[in-house]
Amino acid sequence: PPTHIITVNGKECINFASFNFLGLLNSEQVKSAAQASLKKYGVGTCGPRGFYGTFDVHLELEERLAKFMRTEEAIIYSYGFATIASAIPAYSKRGDIVFVDEAACFAIQKGLQASRSNIKLFKHNDMADLERLLKEQEIEDQKNPRKARVTRRFIVVEGLYMNTGDICPLPELIKLKYKYKVRVFLEESLSFGVLGEHGRGITEHFGINIDDIDLISANMENSLASIGGFCCGRSFIIDHQRLSGQGYCFSASLPPLLAAAAIEALNIIEDNPDIFQILRDKCERIHIALRG
Amino acid sequence: IKDIVPNGGLYKRPFNEAFEETPMLVAVLTYVGYGVLTLFGYLRDFMRQWKIEKCQHATEREEQKDFVPLYQDFENFYNRNLYMRIRDSWNRPICSVPGAKVDMMERVSYDYNWTFTYTGRVIKGIINMGSYNYLGFAQKDGTCQEAAAEVLSQYGAGVCSTRQEMGNLDKHEELEKLVARFLGVESAMTYGMGFATNSMNIPALVGKGCLILSDELNHASLVLGARLSGATIRIFKHNNMQSLEKLLKDAIVHGQPRTRRPWKKILILVEGIYSMEGSIVRLPEVIALKKKYKSYLYLDEAHSIGALGPGGRGVVEYFGLSPEDVDVMMGTFTKSFGAAGGYIGGKKELIDYLRTYSHSAVYATSLSPPVVQQIITSMKCIMGEDGTTVGKARVQQLAENTRYFRRRLKEMGFIIYGNEDSPVVPLMLYMPAKIGAFGREMLKRNIGVVVVGFPATPIIESRARFCLSAAHTKEMLDTALKEINEVGDLLQVKYSRHRLVPLLDRPFDETTYEETED
Repeated sequence: PPTHIITVNGKECINFASFNFLGLLNSEQVKSAAQASLKKYGVGTCGPRGFYGTFDVHLELEERLAKFMRTEEAIIYSYGFATIASAIPAYSKRGDIVFVDEAACFAIQKGLQASRSNIKLFKHNDMADLERLLKEQEIEDQKNPRKARVTRRFIVVEGLYMNTGDICPLPELIKLKYKYKVRVFLEESLSFGVLGEHGRGITEHFGINIDDIDLISANMENSLASIGGFCCGRSFIIDHQRLSGQGYCFSASLPPLLAAAAIEALNIIEDNPDIFQILRDKCERIHIALRG
Repeated sequence: IKDIVPNGGLYKRPFNEAFEETPMLVAVLTYVGYGVLTLFGYLRDFMRQWKIEKCQHATEREEQKDFVPLYQDFENFYNRNLYMRIRDSWNRPICSVPGAKVDMMERVSYDYNWTFTYTGRVIKGIINMGSYNYLGFAQKDGTCQEAAAEVLSQYGAGVCSTRQEMGNLDKHEELEKLVARFLGVESAMTYGMGFATNSMNIPALVGKGCLILSDELNHASLVLGARLSGATIRIFKHNNMQSLEKLLKDAIVHGQPRTRRPWKKILILVEGIYSMEGSIVRLPEVIALKKKYKSYLYLDEAHSIGALGPGGRGVVEYFGLSPEDVDVMMGTFTKSFGAAGGYIGGKKELIDYLRTYSHSAVYATSLSPPVVQQIITSMKCIMGEDGTTVGKARVQQLAENTRYFRRRLKEMGFIIYGNEDSPVVPLMLYMPAKIGAFGREMLKRNIGVVVVGFPATPIIESRARFCLSAAHTKEMLDTALKEINEVGDLLQVKYSRHRLVPLLDRPFDETTYEETED
């Protein structure tokens, strides 16, 4: 069983490899909630969301996530990888333009590949490079205003980058968004439940109004110690995924015991907001100690 | 290498598949129906734009009104005007185990399906003909559930890591050995989600310079995997072996399109049972073709594993063939085993290659431990290794239910697509209004069915789909059939022109041939 002390090939080791940020993997509360749900619903859901695969635990989890992140609506996927890989192709089609960071994670790359849009990479965390690309795009637009009126533009960034471990500069990004009229998709797999005072992620960390971000996508496999992913944002944007998100419509829904585990983990997070401070202190100590 | 002899030499049992043609009057009326709906759609859009009618769907933010619009108006036309009218047939929330009978939360809409409110009442005991519960393993008590509960308390619910990092538990190794034994292949590998299995492993197997031949009606996950791989894709007509052979011949003779070099690999993508048609792939012929032209076969047994074959081992056992002929056997655990996730089975070199190169092993989390335990217990039950004959009894029950249900529906005069032995039964409705009406009428009579229309099916061929289960008893099937008969008379959906003479009580015999009268 993968917790803080783990047995690898027969030897006991301290686990520095799992993404178990809040230590909820071995929590008794979470396990008992999952047991209760197992006794009520069994294990699998035997169907996609559209065909009798929607359980009341799914609806409850979506409401709780939307309330926690203070957005209008949330939508749940049954696998973390499929969340962003289905969300991007639902909005961005052939002919649209996406500006994405070089160090984006693999799931984002697959989503972009599936969407067949034009992809423009900018240097990692370099806002000047992004501005240069946006200006070039603007010049192109003026040459062909009719086409420019129908091509959608998106920026896809991550809250905490999996490949490099640093945070994206969100306030400058929002200024660029309104200046050049581009929509922002934020992927918060690693920063959800880690950054911010109450764990709401990078928007709370920087103090940005959450309505400024068009879509926040995260997976529950890191901090919430469950399986699956979710997207949250305004109803206008999220509702579209219910019919056109491939990983949502064509795949079975999340097993109810995992949804119940996630709800219980959310309860724990909301009741003890001081675990984030503990996590931050430990991170600082390790960083200082490793840098010497 | 033998030449292919016409069907007689390859099939060991009768292969009855029928797709009756749409009657002409019905097709015309369906088009008229869609035409009327489109006209009304334009009218309402016009009224909404000029603010005569209140706009009830969500709109863009005030600050972002001058951004490029996120959705083109026309893309959402179908969504706004046609889908909204019958939206209450889908996404029905349930609150009990998805077994043979299910409890549903009641919801009403006071503004024509734009919003729903839950009344708080629960409708109990709806006969469930919509969930993919083929062998009835969706239970909340029993050995499967107890074993899963134990593993849950020991291992926890999540894994928090990928397969190649800390996510490879001993349970996963145990499961993979069991799956390999179940299928009769050398080794197997499991993944967290069925959809993701296809979309992440096809790119690892084929790349640029390869050719993929895929069936017309393949599932979205197979199509996505094929597109992500970067190989050239050619489509052959559904289950049509002549079309497949022609494509194979063309491919080998002409080679790659511009350079004329031979293709690096040719991969044929088929499914065991197609979920919208209810048809079974013609596997003996596909294998004969594959051997003749030296290509590879990828078989997606999402619906057929556990549901076909005397031992529940899938479509390969159903036809009596050897699993070594199929290069890549893929399937999911969601349908017959009552869990979640997917697997790929094949030769040892193939699976070792996939362990290193599959995108899922490196970047995506592994299966959750209680789910793994559910698969292990149910698979052992089907194989008979837990000491009881429950598994075999379930497979038999499913086969009997299938034959009985299909025969009775055909006798009543409905148009039913697909093969005689497939537990997926599509009943044709055709007209858009009848889709909504059928769903609602059946719910009033306490039977839950699934109706599908455009875009999952061609535009005039909308249907209702029944998924049979080993958990359905004969009484439940009889009740369901009686109600379907009533609703069919009420809505006039009995279009079939080939009526079967109702069989008198003959003993249940596999080689029964029905008499048809025209």
